Amino acid sequence: MTDLNLNFEPNILTFCCNWCSYAGADLAGVSRLQYPTNNRIVRVMCSSRIEPTFILEAFKEGADGVLITGCHIGDCHYIEGNEHTDERMKDMVNALERMGLGERLHLEWVSAAEGKKFQETMINFVDKIKALGPSPLEHKRVE
Amino acid sequence: MKTSPRNTIYQTNVYKTGSDDIWNCLTCNLCYDECPQGVDYPEFVKEERDGNVESADLVHKGVFTLLSDMMVDLDKSRTSLEEAGNKDSKVGYYPGCLDFQDMFFNVDADFSSIANSSMKLLDRMDLDPKRLQMKCCGHDQLWQGDRTTFDKLKEQNTKLIKESGIETLVTSCAECYRTLSQDYDLPIKVVHISQLLKDADLGIDSNVDVTYHDACRLGRHMGEYDAPRDSLTKAGANVTEMAHTKEKAWCCGVSSMMNCNDKSKALRKTRLDEAKKTGAKVMVTTCPKCLAHLTCMKNELESVEDYDFEIKDLTVFLADEMEGKKDE
Repeated sequence: MTDLNLNFEPNILTFCCNWCSYAGADLAGVSRLQYPTNNRIVRVMCSSRIEPTFILEAFKEGADGVLITGCHIGDCHYIEGNEHTDERMKDMVNALERMGLGERLHLEWVSAAEGKKFQETMINFVDKIKALGPSPLEHKRVE
Repeated sequence: MKTSPRNTIYQTNVYKTGSDDIWNCLTCNLCYDECPQGVDYPEFVKEERDGNVESADLVHKGVFTLLSDMMVDLDKSRTSLEEAGNKDSKVGYYPGCLDFQDMFFNVDADFSSIANSSMKLLDRMDLDPKRLQMKCCGHDQLWQGDRTTFDKLKEQNTKLIKESGIETLVTSCAECYRTLSQDYDLPIKVVHISQLLKDADLGIDSNVDVTYHDACRLGRHMGEYDAPRDSLTKAGANVTEMAHTKEKAWCCGVSSMMNCNDKSKALRKTRLDEAKKTGAKVMVTTCPKCLAHLTCMKNELESVEDYDFEIKDLTVFLADEMEGKKDE
């Protein structure tokens, strides 16, 4: 099992909001902060744009983990968009837990100034998914 | 645009062009009941939809469809709440997707309480029930045209029911009842909870004015009109009928999670107005989807219309009365 996990490179889908976390990812880039290359970033205007179906579709299409990032509470460009995200994600994690996927969804607030935090979040999340192993929906894995 | 079943059937069978109308059908069986020739239009629609799920106009962007889709592939996944009750019981209670509805419907309705109330009522009847952990019954997939997923769910659920060793399966949902008794070939008895409640002595004397909204799956599909009314009368409630009732009852408009459009909203508004006219304090129904969509509509119209009644599931109503929670 452990041998398997050593070779396992997870597919991670990251959603970044345009105003904070995408800029945070940008900062991590220009600061040359290294983080694993397992993730694919999708930029959305606000984290509240992310519908439950986006996440379910991602898992269905072979993602091993889904990471949602947005502005800190109170800093949302659209005043209270991320509060909706927060509420929605609680339900989403609940639903995914019933499927045994609960730990594969993570929500993190990353501001535009937190390039370092973006890097750490990425490293920790990839480590976590590596420890968890491939998604149970394995036969649909994309290479 | 007018929907014409005759035209739809003609186009499909003669010109083989198909018609978008098959996606507008509520499959509520009202036309089948009226038809002097006995044309089973809902069944025709179901067959026509088969394999074309992509064209379906799903509500909530199809989140429930995706969930059940994933459920098929995940061994451990279950839709129900945790297993509870007596493990060796011969009576099993299947809650269906109530907990998922709690997560994704932001209406003021507590769906898990339907499951809890049902367990309480079954306990009161000394049936010593066991709450089952199964997958989604697949009703929506079947009527949305995704028969592949339905067949897989059917196979997996049949296996789970056989393993559980129960002899009677009780469900509180009209859709689950229809699907499990008509579309599954189960070796055990499937009953709707109202069919048990009508003969049970719960010791309730509620004296509340209620009206009963027939769920299309329980009423016209399964022919069960009297059991829910009998259980309400037995509990002492005064049942007043709406303008359209029993065989003529209007649908909530969103069976199998499709078509939550302006037309089905108009249908729901009319239904709420009918309920208001009866002067009842509680509108009782037996289908969680009727409950969700009528409550959603009621909330939406709150600012313009004054509906001073509550919408409750049959089991929740009876359990609340049993525990002496009076409505204000």
